[in-house]
Amino acid sequence: MNRKGKQLLEDLDQEIREHIELETQENIGRGMSPGEARYAALRKFGNVTRVKEDARGVWIPVWLEQLLQDIRYAFRLLHKSRAYTVVAILTITLGIAATTAIFSIFYATLLVPFPYPEPDQLVVVWSMANGHRRQVSAGDFLDWQRDNQVFQVLGAVRGDQFNLSTGARPEQIEGSYLTPGFLDQLIGDKPFMGRYVLPEEAVPGKDHVVIITHKLWQRYFAGDPNILNKKIHLNGQPYTVIGVQPPGQPDRLGRQLVVPLAFTPEQLNHDAWWLVVLGRMKSGVSIAQAKADLDRIARRDAELYPADKGWGVSVEPLKNDFLDRDVQTGLNLLMGAVGFLLLIACANVANLLLARGTTRHREVAVRASIGASRTQIFRQFLIESLVLAGLGGILGIGLAWVLMKVILAAMPPYMLLSETDVKMSMPVLLFTVASTMLSGVLFGCAPAWQAAGLNLNEALKEGGRPPSADRQRMRRGLVIAEFALALSLLAGGGQAIHSFWNVEHVNLGFRSDHLLAFDLPVNEGKLDGAAKINSFYREVLGEINALPGVTHAAVSEGMPLLGVRFGMPFQIAGKEMEDMSRRPVTGFNMVTPQFFNVYEIQMLEGRSLTPEDEEGGRRVAVVDERFAKQFLSGMDPLSQRIVMNEMVPGAMKLGPPVEWQIVGVYRSMQNGRPEAGNFPEMDVPFWQCPWPQARITVRASIDPDLLAKSISDVVQSLDPDLPLSNLQTMDRTLEQVAHGSRFLAFLFGGFAGIGMLLAAVGIYGVMSFAVVQRTHEIGVRMALGASRSGVLGMILKDGMVLTMAGFLLGILGAYGVGKVMHGILFNVAAFDYWGFGVVAGALLLAGILACFVPAHRATLVDPMKALRQE
Amino acid sequence: MSTREQKERVELLQGTLDLLILRTLVLGPTHGQAIAKAIELKSDDVLQIEQGSLYPALHRLIKRGWISVEEGTSENNRKAKFYELTARGKKQLQVEVSKWDKLAGAIARILRPTEERE
Repeated sequence: MNRKGKQLLEDLDQEIREHIELETQENIGRGMSPGEARYAALRKFGNVTRVKEDARGVWIPVWLEQLLQDIRYAFRLLHKSRAYTVVAILTITLGIAATTAIFSIFYATLLVPFPYPEPDQLVVVWSMANGHRRQVSAGDFLDWQRDNQVFQVLGAVRGDQFNLSTGARPEQIEGSYLTPGFLDQLIGDKPFMGRYVLPEEAVPGKDHVVIITHKLWQRYFAGDPNILNKKIHLNGQPYTVIGVQPPGQPDRLGRQLVVPLAFTPEQLNHDAWWLVVLGRMKSGVSIAQAKADLDRIARRDAELYPADKGWGVSVEPLKNDFLDRDVQTGLNLLMGAVGFLLLIACANVANLLLARGTTRHREVAVRASIGASRTQIFRQFLIESLVLAGLGGILGIGLAWVLMKVILAAMPPYMLLSETDVKMSMPVLLFTVASTMLSGVLFGCAPAWQAAGLNLNEALKEGGRPPSADRQRMRRGLVIAEFALALSLLAGGGQAIHSFWNVEHVNLGFRSDHLLAFDLPVNEGKLDGAAKINSFYREVLGEINALPGVTHAAVSEGMPLLGVRFGMPFQIAGKEMEDMSRRPVTGFNMVTPQFFNVYEIQMLEGRSLTPEDEEGGRRVAVVDERFAKQFLSGMDPLSQRIVMNEMVPGAMKLGPPVEWQIVGVYRSMQNGRPEAGNFPEMDVPFWQCPWPQARITVRASIDPDLLAKSISDVVQSLDPDLPLSNLQTMDRTLEQVAHGSRFLAFLFGGFAGIGMLLAAVGIYGVMSFAVVQRTHEIGVRMALGASRSGVLGMILKDGMVLTMAGFLLGILGAYGVGKVMHGILFNVAAFDYWGFGVVAGALLLAGILACFVPAHRATLVDPMKALRQE
Repeated sequence: MSTREQKERVELLQGTLDLLILRTLVLGPTHGQAIAKAIELKSDDVLQIEQGSLYPALHRLIKRGWISVEEGTSENNRKAKFYELTARGKKQLQVEVSKWDKLAGAIARILRPTEERE
């Protein structure tokens, strides 16, 4: 409405008064009495209210006018019955808040488009055989890069830790090696300052240049404007700063600096797979075409290099590829869980509205009898629901923001990619608005439908008592649906909690108390050759073992709970050698003999590794129970030898095949993350297969935290440049590992708990309302001689039919949920009887109470009173 | 008003009120009650309009830009809204009049076919 119209409408009253006044004067002039004159003028003018309405209608479209009217009316009604309004709005708020909070994480993790130009052209390329992906060897990568016809740029990346020691405090910083063109041509990023890597800098000897993120520049170099061309020290080597990345997206990555990936001659092989390969396809090229082209090269290479035999490629769009599958499943499940929660909330509000509708049918009947059409009544009821939903939605967004912060704070840090930016973005808000409207329509339709379909005659005649069977049917249906939904959701929550309980009480297979572990990230190239590595670690172990409070200390590559560093293809000796791609793979660990004492791992057969298993001695290995069962069933493990390609210390390549004699089998321990599951493991003497970077675990006779200082000092005294990293007690690691399942239990359990509360309240509300409505009937029955227990039984039976129907549907739902959740849980069956039983019991109890309490109350009523209630 | 009188009056056709208002305003700006009076007088009280219905029609014409409104003083010295034909309104009046003539002619031909043939 414009200003002119508004002014005219405001003045209309006055104008009409003047008009009638003039007319009256004229009538008096014609000889009428003042009373007559005024009456005649009014009659001639017509219906003032209608005139005003029509005039408004000129300026405001009728539908908008009516809508505003309906909304005003809805607000008035909601205000009138405040208790009901508050309950309904809070219910919706909970549903919307949970949905929005989870969706904000879901969106930022799985849906948000990449902030790069033409993201559809970006792909990740893996080597692929028998459905397994692996990283790419330098030889393969360079062949693909040289011979492909489908990519604008093909780049490779490798992450690493860098010891940055320019300022006062040395720091361990994550960074990446990138091929030239990766940032500018492939990703499409422009430097904030300086430039990115040139092709001629990706050559050993010229590769000492570094690009830093805006964040690192600000944090470590205090935003020094003259940072370009300065020298900084990485791993003890001087590097020249040539560029700074723009602020924003790169800052959210964990990796904060970039150096050129310059292949050394010994890295140029096809045997070691250590690169992640990304590509930008030429415009118009499809993923299938890109795959076909690279497969052509892979087939050619498979003929040339034994390690490539049987390997093809997999080209995948760059999309959440680096996100853990379990996290993806978990997020999908959470979305489902909050969806269920929202549905339960809707069912609850629908029930509430239906129940209130029965007390409002008088009002509806009156409105209909004075001319409101069915459409109008339907619209009025629907708008009331939408107003409720809208209010709930607004509060929901506020609560969602809080919930999102809580979830992010409780989430284990490794769960999301570091660049994920979770926030209440526009798409998230749009989603909220959409789901709010949808819920409004969902819970509004049933009551609106009923109100519009009201039988006028019946309603007015009955004087306030609505026996409509149709109404009851709808509400009974809602109770069943609610029960089934809640049961499915709760079964999921029960499973998550059960899984968490299992993780907490898992049999680790080793003793976790009084253990302290840390990494020694020895700089590349510092310990070259087996001899240097072994003498360094012998010295470290010697010094640590001499410390008071240390019982044993051991060097190892992997560690229980956190997995091993290497997965090695192998074969049992005595058969013809197969292609690398067809050999089974085992977890491979190199440990010093004390390892089994430090962790107190039990030997089952043969012997453990001993100090006599030294370099140059016979190659021996111990395997775990799982290895023996999976690969050596039906054989005597102690007479088997395992063949695998030799590892070259610190180098990304494999040597010729060597044989390891199995000398012992130990009881399997929890070697992987509990939710990821365990794997077969084979352990060989560290001295016979050394590696420059390793981990040291110490068993202490005192509080292990007290040892941290003296151990740091010992290492510092041996090598002042070597930082200890990830120094922590095993119990702390255990706690961190349990964090993931605790988080899942917290979220699913929390949502399931809210769902259960809503469902219980809803079921109770509906059932008790139904019983209250039957008070009259109960009165009649009792007046005619029905016994109290008979009446109770009748009502309970009625309620139990509903409960049972919901229960049966719920079992189906719970089974479906369990099947999907199974993958991310630890040691929980797809149908978790334990969790399901508890949950179903609680809901059944709510159902029984909901029938029993009001029924009991109804039987206490004096029949005469109940009958007189009319 | 007697019943007889009532019968002799003609109900206003939908939309013709706009035309009558425009025609009335050709004589110069005037206020609502005067417009109603003028329409009734001119038609010798044959055209019966519910005076109130004038106002939504006036608003409609203002919205279309065919008339404008100004503050003025009525004959009994009270403030009143005076409605005035705009240039667009004048043009529109010609269109409406010719439309009306066509319609009236057509209806007349249908109702009195013999006269037409003579």
